[in-house]
Amino acid sequence: MNVRDAILGGLFLAAGAALSLGAAALPPGAGELPGPGFFPGTIAGIIVLLACAQLYSAFRDRAGAGPAIGDIRGVGAAAGLLFVYLLLWGTGWFALRTAVYLLLLLRFFGQGWKPAAAVSITIAAAVTLAFQYGLRVSLE
Amino acid sequence: MGADLLAGLAAVFEWQTLGFLLAGVALGSVFGALPGLTATMGVAVLTPLTFWLSAEQGLAMLLGIYGGAIPAGGIPAILINVPGTPASIATAWDGYPLSQQGRAGQALGANAIFSALGQLTSIFFLAVAAFPIAAFALRFGPAEYFGLALFGISLMAGVSGRYVVKGLLAGMLGLAVSTVGLDPMTAFPRFTFGQSEFLDGVSFVPVMIGLFGLAEVLVQISERHSKPEVPAGALGRVLPSASEAKTMLPSAALGAGLGTLVGAVPAAGGDIGSVIAWEQARRLSPEKGKFGKGSLAGLAASCSAANAAIGGAMTTMLTLGIPGDAVSAILIGALLIHGIQPGPLLFRDHRAFVFTLVFLMVLAALLVMLLGLLGARPLARVLRVPDPWLWSGVTLLGAVGAYALNNAVVDIWAMFIAGIAGFLLRKVNVPLGPLVLGLILGPMMEANLRRALILSRGDWLGTLTRPIVLFFLLATLASLVLPLIRRRQAESGPR
Repeated sequence: MNVRDAILGGLFLAAGAALSLGAAALPPGAGELPGPGFFPGTIAGIIVLLACAQLYSAFRDRAGAGPAIGDIRGVGAAAGLLFVYLLLWGTGWFALRTAVYLLLLLRFFGQGWKPAAAVSITIAAAVTLAFQYGLRVSLE
Repeated sequence: MGADLLAGLAAVFEWQTLGFLLAGVALGSVFGALPGLTATMGVAVLTPLTFWLSAEQGLAMLLGIYGGAIPAGGIPAILINVPGTPASIATAWDGYPLSQQGRAGQALGANAIFSALGQLTSIFFLAVAAFPIAAFALRFGPAEYFGLALFGISLMAGVSGRYVVKGLLAGMLGLAVSTVGLDPMTAFPRFTFGQSEFLDGVSFVPVMIGLFGLAEVLVQISERHSKPEVPAGALGRVLPSASEAKTMLPSAALGAGLGTLVGAVPAAGGDIGSVIAWEQARRLSPEKGKFGKGSLAGLAASCSAANAAIGGAMTTMLTLGIPGDAVSAILIGALLIHGIQPGPLLFRDHRAFVFTLVFLMVLAALLVMLLGLLGARPLARVLRVPDPWLWSGVTLLGAVGAYALNNAVVDIWAMFIAGIAGFLLRKVNVPLGPLVLGLILGPMMEANLRRALILSRGDWLGTLTRPIVLFFLLATLASLVLPLIRRRQAESGPR
């Protein structure tokens, strides 16, 4: 069994079922004319069918789990840092926050202090100048 | 027609438009030349910048990026055997052996010339074929548009390679996401969870930035491997001799033709086109044995096909409103930002703008050739930029760009969630192209089906058996069944 594909099939099955329930709660339409729930309901049905096909092929697959995810620690760090950076969006000090975020990201990926600081300050300054002062986007 | 042509030409030769085109080609060349940065990523993260420009200037920049990135993707493919963009995979097959033989300059020169030739051929196809296609499509009613959208979505199964079911699931996910917001016919809110931010639906451009910018960066981080060193020393002669050009021209012409056709198929881009063209050129060549070992003919076929897909994809996108590839899907978003709806009406109501786009693409192709011939050496140096610098730049530009579109924090989170989802889907071999197709074609499909049913007073059979609709339904069936038959044949073949 291909575990990863089976999980994927299961997730899509759950998503299809949830979409189906959501669509059932929408007005059904009048007579032969479909209402707001018709299209999402149809898609939900197709997702459920395809998810079952995916599950079936995953159970029959003898190749195993498939290739590894890779450097999950690096991905987690990059996504986590970005998540925190986005959480702080709109709290002021955009250029400083951005430079710190980039510095931490570059340091995590093995860049030395000096080049990391130089690159993060340059990119943060360039983006602030271009968007905040050039295009008048309020980034604070 | 003549007045529109002149107006279209005049718009191109405004200095600001030319400046943005040049900037786009230069930026695109950098995005293409750096493995990990792609044309799709470049267009996705820079689309928000065009919000502040006129439609002509914005599209000049984006078409410049598109036209500049694909040929530049051949540079790392030739020098270090790492394709800069997916479209340059086949370029590496002959380009890198040429480089190892000390003929890197020749390979880079051929890449520049035949990439431009491929682009120009497909633009010629766009100029000739687009108006008749659009004129024919003007006859379409809601039922025909529904059939067309259904056919477009069904093609995603054919281009999902080994993963037909996963491709279809991705497409359905795109369709499901496209139903968020107000119902197109009754304005009833769907799946908005009481949040007013979702009433307009999920913003398309931030989702594209997430899927093709952030997700790509995360994939790169997860698959980190050391980049090969750029060979030091002179590149040698760049321009091919007359006899070499004569050897390459037939393959390049074949590549340009096949690339244009493949590019016109929804969701199939230069990556598929260049591989098919290289294989066909090899089959027809009297020197089959040289292919894959440094054949100039093989290089010409792959370069011209990869670039010819641009014009093919643009033809489908502009005439029918259906994206030919991921970049043209994002270009639809860019056009919509400027209030321009791609489709047959564009050719009736905005002819001058269509001519402007064609002229911009021609100029971009010429600039690409010039930059490829004169700038091969500096572009080769760009390859030395460390990956973490690129990752930080792309994620930041993606976040700020997503926010800048509407000054809305919800768009940043749409980008982030799409990025994480895109990464996870890529890791389980779910293709993202069908998801984009579903997102774009979903509203078109639903609204037109329901309009058609209202017009026919709920007569499903009458609606679905109109000649053009029936043709699209049969084509849909064929596009779903044929890949399965081919797969079954391939599986039973070797026994």
